[in-house]
Amino acid sequence: MGLDVQSVTKTYNLNSIAVEALRGVSMSLGESEYVAIMGPSGSGKSTLMNIIGCLDVPTSGRYFIDGQDVTTLGEDRLAEVRNAKIGFVFQTFNLLPRADVFHNVELPLIYRGLKPSRRREMAMEAIDAVGLADRVKHKPTELSGGQRQRVAIARALATSPSVILADEPTGNLDTVTGSEIMAIFDDLQRRGHAILLVTHEEDVARHAHRIVRLRDGLIESDTAQREAA
Amino acid sequence: MSAVHQTFEAVRIALAALRANTARGVLTTLGIIIGIVAVVTTMTAANGLANSFRESASIIGADVLYISHHPWIVTGNFFQFRNRPRISLKEGEKLERRLRSAVAVNPTAETGRSIKYRSDVRDNIRIIGTSHKHMLMSSAVPEVGRFFSAQDVQSRRRVCVIGKTIHEQLFRDVDPINKKLKVGRFDFRIIGVMEKQGSAGFFGGPDFDSQVFIPISTFARIFGSRHRDFDIGVKAPPGVALADYEYEVIGEMRKIRKLSPTEDDNFSINKMESLMDAFNNVMGVVVLIGLAITGVSLFVGGVGVMNIMFVSVTERTKEIGIRKAIGAKRRAILSQFLFESAAICLVGGAVGVVLSFAVAAIIDKLVMPASVSPAIVVTALLVALAVGVLAGIVPAWRASRLNPIDALRYE
Repeated sequence: MGLDVQSVTKTYNLNSIAVEALRGVSMSLGESEYVAIMGPSGSGKSTLMNIIGCLDVPTSGRYFIDGQDVTTLGEDRLAEVRNAKIGFVFQTFNLLPRADVFHNVELPLIYRGLKPSRRREMAMEAIDAVGLADRVKHKPTELSGGQRQRVAIARALATSPSVILADEPTGNLDTVTGSEIMAIFDDLQRRGHAILLVTHEEDVARHAHRIVRLRDGLIESDTAQREAA
Repeated sequence: MSAVHQTFEAVRIALAALRANTARGVLTTLGIIIGIVAVVTTMTAANGLANSFRESASIIGADVLYISHHPWIVTGNFFQFRNRPRISLKEGEKLERRLRSAVAVNPTAETGRSIKYRSDVRDNIRIIGTSHKHMLMSSAVPEVGRFFSAQDVQSRRRVCVIGKTIHEQLFRDVDPINKKLKVGRFDFRIIGVMEKQGSAGFFGGPDFDSQVFIPISTFARIFGSRHRDFDIGVKAPPGVALADYEYEVIGEMRKIRKLSPTEDDNFSINKMESLMDAFNNVMGVVVLIGLAITGVSLFVGGVGVMNIMFVSVTERTKEIGIRKAIGAKRRAILSQFLFESAAICLVGGAVGVVLSFAVAAIIDKLVMPASVSPAIVVTALLVALAVGVLAGIVPAWRASRLNPIDALRYE
């Protein structure tokens, strides 16, 4: 179980020049693992995250989620996999500005086709977990940056995904708020969620138990951290 | 189950989008509103015309043939009828003797005369000479008093029955029965007032409520019959097809006129049906013009909506990216924007329908009876919905095909 990336390459055609963003990357993420992907810009980190998040498909290689090969799936089947297996947390929060907190968290459950009572139950549980139960009727614009990111985390949690994929989750936050958010991730990991952080900040990456470093489309190092059990 | 929930979500998004862009929506829907007003007004006017025509036509009688000098609706050269002999009262009597099966054969004549009550004069009023059999030919009945009796006709009495408009204009609150009315130079006693019959005026036809009926015998005596052209009304026997009976009438008429088999008819047979046909032709043109205006304005409106939907899709590229990232399929995005465009057009359609009620009320007051029927309302809303869906398809399809990575990156 978990994620398994096997010899994945990705080549883009930019103005008929082939750009190799990933040149054969293999890595895996077990259940309740806490991994950070690091690398300078241009290292292929975003490409890898897009592939792991099922937003993109590799040019070659295989990618399994919970034993299922997702490299051959069509667009709508990938949407289903994203809905069921992946919980996204973005740097810019990416909440729907006109929808309130509850509706934002409920949204993936709507696309899953659940009935309203079940959605309410699951969404409220996730909102509770990030400590925003008293803000359900607020619009994102009425919340602070840290609160918005917590809504995003609740949205990712609501579907009970196989992995929470966090792309620079503290990039738009001040240090204090950032560490509050990281505390939530740490807590989620302790409760059994697998977390994949993409970041270029060492402070953030230090929270993870394993750090995978990318450079020029290849894995430079994959090392366990001291804190790791 | 899941489709229902996602549809509900699509409706919710559509309404939220409308609320967020009210001013823009209103401007966009102007074209749709105009189009829908055009649809509803055209259909209402067509209905109103058809109704008032049918009413007028029933006065003529659906199973009555009229033998006349020339056809009511002249197509082609009018001069081809010029040398025809006039239809005489005598021919009417002969035809009545020959057509034993007919319910009634009723020669009529008309002329224009001024009428006068006390010092109140009305010029150029249609004076119609007819008989007691008039009541068998037409659906019109007297509202007060009575029509002529056979006795009135036989004795050439100077009695008359007046139309509703004449009653209203000359007598107002006075009871006209047994009052003296001067027709031309002659005094008549009013014995009845016809109920309101409506006008065939829009068709270039007569105003049925501004005429005076007098016995045909009296008519012939005081206005002369020698050089006068009569119409002969023949009511077909019940259960006989009018088309078949028409042949019989033509045959008898040819015998009376001693036409040889090679000669053309030198008289015309008129009936309500031929009026109906002519009316339907005119209506067809009216409706066609209305639909053309409607089509153009709905097309322009639809293009406006399509345009605004492209704007909406572009503005919400990021939102589309977010929705796709968390699991929205192409169909969910497609229906979200289709619902939005349908909702814009439905709102426009609803406003158009409301405005149409006002337009119909104005037409009703100034031109002719007109009322918006529920069927027209439903049709108009369906048309608006169809325009919305058609206008939304391309933008919605484009939205549904957006690549989630590019869409998420869009600012």
